[in-house]
Amino acid sequence: MNVNLTEIHRSFGKNKAVDGVSLELGTGVFGLLGPNGAGKTSLLRILATVLPPSSGEMALLGRDPRASAARREIRRRLGYLPQNLGYYPSFTVVEFIEYFALLKEMPVPAVPRAVAAAVERVDLGPKAKAKLRTLSGGMLRRVGIAQAIVNNPDLLLLDEPTAGLDPEQRVQFRSLLRGLGESSTVLVSTHLVEDVGAACSEVALMSAGKIVFRGTPDELTVRGEGHSVGDAPLERGYSAVLAEARS
Amino acid sequence: MNHPSTPHRPVAPHGFPDGVDLDRVWTGVAAEVWRRSPSWMERTAARLLRSPGLARALVTTPSLLLPWLISTVVVFGVGALIRLGPGQPAVWLIAPGIAAVGIAFAYGPGIDPAWELSSSCAISDRIVLLTRAVAVFALNAVLGLIASAASGAVAALTFGWLLPMTAVSALALAVAVATRSAIVGAGAGVAAWVITVLASETASGRLTVSVTSTNAYLPYLVIAVACAAIAVYAMRPQRGLQ
Repeated sequence: MNVNLTEIHRSFGKNKAVDGVSLELGTGVFGLLGPNGAGKTSLLRILATVLPPSSGEMALLGRDPRASAARREIRRRLGYLPQNLGYYPSFTVVEFIEYFALLKEMPVPAVPRAVAAAVERVDLGPKAKAKLRTLSGGMLRRVGIAQAIVNNPDLLLLDEPTAGLDPEQRVQFRSLLRGLGESSTVLVSTHLVEDVGAACSEVALMSAGKIVFRGTPDELTVRGEGHSVGDAPLERGYSAVLAEARS
Repeated sequence: MNHPSTPHRPVAPHGFPDGVDLDRVWTGVAAEVWRRSPSWMERTAARLLRSPGLARALVTTPSLLLPWLISTVVVFGVGALIRLGPGQPAVWLIAPGIAAVGIAFAYGPGIDPAWELSSSCAISDRIVLLTRAVAVFALNAVLGLIASAASGAVAALTFGWLLPMTAVSALALAVAVATRSAIVGAGAGVAAWVITVLASETASGRLTVSVTSTNAYLPYLVIAVACAAIAVYAMRPQRGLQ
């Protein structure tokens, strides 16, 4: 298992952002669904070792991130796309991805080819030498995805990766995700149910800091039978589980 | 997102030998075309710091314009204040702390747009911050040296503040890299600075007068309370991670 969480809690003051989450993930693409404020981003930040949990046990890639040497090794093998990707406007696409490849301690001789491969995978070749300040929101999102996958991570965490992508790019992105999920653990946080249906082999639904459903997209769809809220079957399943959790 | 029909990519010519992975060939070509040659300064820094990532952070520090401007204003401001101030050892001792907080804010969670991303990388974000501090002090020291030819006040600021701070921050970074701990590095820098200030005060005979001054009682009390608070915080029962 690449991710092993046991009773993870994280509070901000009196607000329980993550409330007793236990999760085991192997290879594959996993969708993390939930409404705004459900705790998806906090959980992803905990998994990215950016935010320490208030309590609970966790192992990532077989290591305990409390030890600094283990945390460093985890981070070498981690790819992370935060919800709000900050960028350096004066950097070019290649410079930005290369900078983070170096901060991830990739072997220097492998960096140029890895950067080129990442740029090509997100279809930004024609903009490789463009300054980040000249790119559109969707292109910046793709830069963020490229820096996340540049080190061929064993654990890839993507927070709202399709925000700002046009429909064609979203279709291509789902294909990229399925490819990455063959050898890595990919966790995608999103509130777009159709992304999960198309790309994820398994889905977890969060509400009020807890995981209230875990199963395949088909199982989530079944939960929505007879439920009227939602346009697509998967959306009806999502709404039904949420309504049940809130009642 | 990669697509076989991506327009800029070469298409396999008819009769191209089997077994040639055009994607791989193209990636190799793109890598060569886009490859960025590090400057001699970056190569030297990479050797000294034993980290190409830290070297890149060092040389790109001035290019992050807003953090750079804020750090420079703080560094020059603190330097000007202590040069114009009463010369109390306490002022000299806390001045680097104020400058460090300014730099950490500008290149840390305060302003750095990619801070969250940096925090998830293998190289410690705190060591990256030490690297930023070295770059800020060193480049401003160079600018100060150039300006010293025109102004005695700038010369005093450069030799009395910027150059010593460059040395102290460089020492802190060197120790941090050697021990792989930013806290140990920062501790070494602080220790070096305290020894330097106290030695200077002792040599000039001002230390005893300063230490026993009734004006110093309140700062002593504040420092004692702060130390106690830090100790209590550090010894609190550990819950969860980190």
